[in-house]
Amino acid sequence: MKTRSDSGPVLDKGDVLLEARGLSKGFPGVWEHLILDQLDFDVRSGEVHTLLGENGAGKTVIANILSGYYEKTEGEIRVKGKLVHFRSPREGLAHGIAMVHQELMLVPAFTVAENIMVGLDAPLFSYGIAGVEKRIQRLVERYGLQVDPKARVEDLSAGQQQRVEILKVLFHEPEVLLLDEPTSLLTPSEADQLFVVLRAMADDGKGIVFISHKMREVFAVSDRVTVLKLGKTQGTCQIAETNEDELTRRTFGETVPDYMERPEVAHEELALNTIEMVPSGLEKKPNSQGISLKIRCGEIMGLAGVSGNGQTELIEAVTGLVPPASGEVWILNADMTGRTPKEFIERGVAHIPERRREIGIVEQMHVAENVVLKDYRKTPFSKNTVLRHQQISSHAEKIVEKFNALVPDLWQTECRILSGGNIQRLILGRETWRKPPVIIASHPTEGLDAKAIRHTWELFLALRAEGSAVLLVSEDLDEIMSLSDRIAVMFEGKIMGIVDGKGADREILGHWMAGGTASAA
Amino acid sequence: MELTHLWGILFISLHAMVPITLAAIGETIEESAGLFNIGLEGILLFGALAGALGAQASGSALVGLLTGMGVGALIGLVFGTISTSLRGSQLISGVGINLLALGFVALMLSVMGAPGFHSVAREVQVPLIPLGVGNLSPLVPITVAVAIGVWWLLRRTQLGIWIRAVGENPAAADVAGIRVNRVRLGAAVAAGVLAGLAGAYLSIDWFGAVTKEITAGRGFIALAIVVFSGLNPLLALLGGFIFGFFDGLATWVATYPGIKDIIPWQFVAMMPYVVTLAVVAGMIGRVRFPSALGVPYLRE
Amino acid sequence: MSSPSSWIRNLTPITESLLAGVVGLVIGAFIMLAFGYNPLAAYRSLFVGSVGSVYSWAELFANATPLILTALTFAIAMRGGLFNIGAEGQLYMGALAAVSVSLLHLPAPFNWIVAILAAMVAGMIWSLPVALLKLGRGVHEVISTIMFNWIAHFFAFYLIANVLTDPQRGERTIAVSESARLTRVFPDATLSSGLFISLVTVGVIFFLLWRTSTGFEIRSVGYNPHASHYAGISIRKQVLRVFLIGGAIAGLAGAIVVMGRPPYYAVLSGLPQLVNLGFDGIGVAMIGRNHPIGIVFAAIFFGGLMTGGRIMQFDPGVPFELVRVIQGVIILALAIPELRRLFFLARERLAGRK
Repeated sequence: MKTRSDSGPVLDKGDVLLEARGLSKGFPGVWEHLILDQLDFDVRSGEVHTLLGENGAGKTVIANILSGYYEKTEGEIRVKGKLVHFRSPREGLAHGIAMVHQELMLVPAFTVAENIMVGLDAPLFSYGIAGVEKRIQRLVERYGLQVDPKARVEDLSAGQQQRVEILKVLFHEPEVLLLDEPTSLLTPSEADQLFVVLRAMADDGKGIVFISHKMREVFAVSDRVTVLKLGKTQGTCQIAETNEDELTRRTFGETVPDYMERPEVAHEELALNTIEMVPSGLEKKPNSQGISLKIRCGEIMGLAGVSGNGQTELIEAVTGLVPPASGEVWILNADMTGRTPKEFIERGVAHIPERRREIGIVEQMHVAENVVLKDYRKTPFSKNTVLRHQQISSHAEKIVEKFNALVPDLWQTECRILSGGNIQRLILGRETWRKPPVIIASHPTEGLDAKAIRHTWELFLALRAEGSAVLLVSEDLDEIMSLSDRIAVMFEGKIMGIVDGKGADREILGHWMAGGTASAA
Repeated sequence: MELTHLWGILFISLHAMVPITLAAIGETIEESAGLFNIGLEGILLFGALAGALGAQASGSALVGLLTGMGVGALIGLVFGTISTSLRGSQLISGVGINLLALGFVALMLSVMGAPGFHSVAREVQVPLIPLGVGNLSPLVPITVAVAIGVWWLLRRTQLGIWIRAVGENPAAADVAGIRVNRVRLGAAVAAGVLAGLAGAYLSIDWFGAVTKEITAGRGFIALAIVVFSGLNPLLALLGGFIFGFFDGLATWVATYPGIKDIIPWQFVAMMPYVVTLAVVAGMIGRVRFPSALGVPYLRE
Repeated sequence: MSSPSSWIRNLTPITESLLAGVVGLVIGAFIMLAFGYNPLAAYRSLFVGSVGSVYSWAELFANATPLILTALTFAIAMRGGLFNIGAEGQLYMGALAAVSVSLLHLPAPFNWIVAILAAMVAGMIWSLPVALLKLGRGVHEVISTIMFNWIAHFFAFYLIANVLTDPQRGERTIAVSESARLTRVFPDATLSSGLFISLVTVGVIFFLLWRTSTGFEIRSVGYNPHASHYAGISIRKQVLRVFLIGGAIAGLAGAIVVMGRPPYYAVLSGLPQLVNLGFDGIGVAMIGRNHPIGIVFAAIFFGGLMTGGRIMQFDPGVPFELVRVIQGVIILALAIPELRRLFFLARERLAGRK
């Protein structure tokens, strides 16, 4: 069985293209355990080999090492049997290994062709843009990647930008393509299109390494799958010889409950009410329409959707960070449209932000200061604008203790040095201690361990019982389904539908997330 | 007003355009690559001194200009090294360069025996091109050529793609195999060369002397022109001419009998700075700067 | 992972500043050698000239007094994330405002207070447009403050020559009236009670930054404007605050110079006693790590360089400008966060070679 690629060498299907033995990686001083621990891995011509694992399992690190972006600590890498040692991504490319990073590595101000030129090895004063555009066109046709080479990248959708990333590496005619969570910004249907492309490339004789934490995708595209947990491999197997339950168990350990039972809370008062509200940033989207979302006191509303479909903009509007383009935002029967973040906070809107290091805390300030980041101006923490350190300290101590945050010292430790999980504990403490009537929580459990996730869920249920309304935004459908009283699905800035959380149909939710309009029967 | 006055204003404007435009084009290269150098003023000052010394030591204006460029390159190298591989603060090192230049030039002037002022002999100044209606410095056409050349370099070459990629998204450039810090260092040196040339022009062409105050904020006006131009060297040329015009007008008004009695010279002297503020205030928001401007690049 | 104990971490910026100072002095020595001066003699003269007698100490503190204030102007802006290099112009305006108050012929007890308040208001007026241009039009403060410095420069020239001119002496302004002058601390030295005003200001700014909600907001915005916006802190308000406070302090610096500097108590044409005080304050703030207490020590260091530099000019005959070269080198060295590491690395390598 031989395939001839356009200009590449003749490859035998099934040949091992890239092989790693005993690969280890440690970042000394940062982590106690190794990021990668004695890992064996290979990819063969003509196959899609999936690396499956939770966040933090070390999938990205493997890809970065194999492509030459990181240096390994130990182990050996062979390309077609030959021992190699890459010191830069460019050396990796020269050996036919290319990586598509999870975060888009594109220059938004450049056109597609210019972006591809960034990676060319052309003479300094040459300018081969016309040739590049022509070659893009050929690749587009060969693999069915629909992209205009003259388009500016910032004008493209996330799915199209992802295709530009793939084009960028295909330009170098790689034999092995490593894709790090390429579907994280895609809708399910865009992801399916990507899988067709990946299959076409595998059929062309390339070896594809596909990184994912989503079970559906693993079965949609893989030939083989390797499960990774905390830097260690949990074994490799043919996809035909395994099933979803087994893989789930190996990847995540115990499974989560479908729906956490909770007593009815009968409140009629609306905590959060948006009326035909178009968040700023979404008004320019085609057929954008106002969002009317009503959350009662004592209710958890889950907001599901692929990230980048307007969730961020919606959160910014209902927390006052960015005033909406049109429509109204009401909090507890008060029109808050156009009010400042401070007024939203005073009205009782707590916000657990997604980008916690960038927005949730001030990294260079101390733990105690971050605990009162929203309360320093109120009694008892300050009086006539003079801060009262005593009160701040004892309050911070309480929060740290109650939320099991690991912090060396309240007034000496800058939040910068804390782990993501500990930062999240501080933020959860800061945002919930007043038992706020409205809680906007974005990916609240990301990066927490199983025990802390459990605690967080119980915290939300307890607050709900006391009458708080929670808007839970998460990409994790399991979390949404376990916690929500009702579930709304967002797609391209619109609410596609709302169902009751108890007994919600996963398939319908998935359909809505992809932009489908089927009704919940 | 007679025609000769108009020619006079035009020539003064063109001559005033040269230093701010050259410095601004250098800064354009640098900012395209993501570096923000507020030490331009200092490089101009170093260039002015180096130009004068080079020209006098060799007896050739050309050597003087080259010396200015060389010293500018050296300062650019210092700034670039601190801002890239040494991970230093661009703003602080820029301030350091300005202070160092002020001190060093004043020191040299006083060592040379004429504190505060050093004139350059006519014979070693850049010879002007006689055009009948007035004499024009050869640096004027050179500045125009540099503007066009740098525009071509940034917008129509592979190197330009790399420079701009490094300024817009250094991580993407790094992944693509570009040595981010090396490109930035090169851009800093190129900016130093142009600012050094601008400085040498001040001393051995336009003014024919070195003083501590010779730069008079031109380095900062150049920064403003970069804002005005939105990193387009051709617009920087236009901006340079507009500012040169007001600079020239101020010089002309200050010496023109009749006007100087109505408007005190101090207010005329303020004009270039007021115009700078007004134009920058009117421009901002309509131009776009590299996303990674001023941010040191560290690989995660 | 072991976290270093707190006093070591507080020590790091101090060692960095000291190291930068050493680098500046060493490079200064090489420059002197290159020009054929004896650096040892020069530094001895500089040292004795700055701290060798009570008189020289008094001169040193007199030189440090305005630097403390202009450094605070820069430092409070840096704490708020802004690069305010406009103290120079604000200081000119403050000095002229203080002088102009004597035209009012106020009764004695109010005179000096009114002069100081007028100077602070003048400094604020001069920095307000910078804040407004930033908020309204997004103009970077580096550009606008420098432009305002130059405008202030020529405006001051105009005022000296045309408005506030001393009728007897055309080259300077009218003098600050007797009752508004600051008390001299030593009979023959220039040191005035302005030093105490400066130190009180240091205390006020220290308290403001770390003990009040206002300071909390300024620092928070300086570190992370996004998180501050999220926490309900108005960023625009901080920009305005930081420039207004900074302008007031710079104006105060101008007032103290003109109200406390014998023999003329007036602004001279060409502004010789004012020029560069604003820019030197930037260096002082950087060496003092934008910390009020650090600034006091850094200002003493700069004051010593300036006092001793004048003596050095006479004795071994090294031009005063060398001091400025040293200052520039120190700032460049400070810009390098890795300097301390490089230093220890180099020492290890040298030790290894032996």
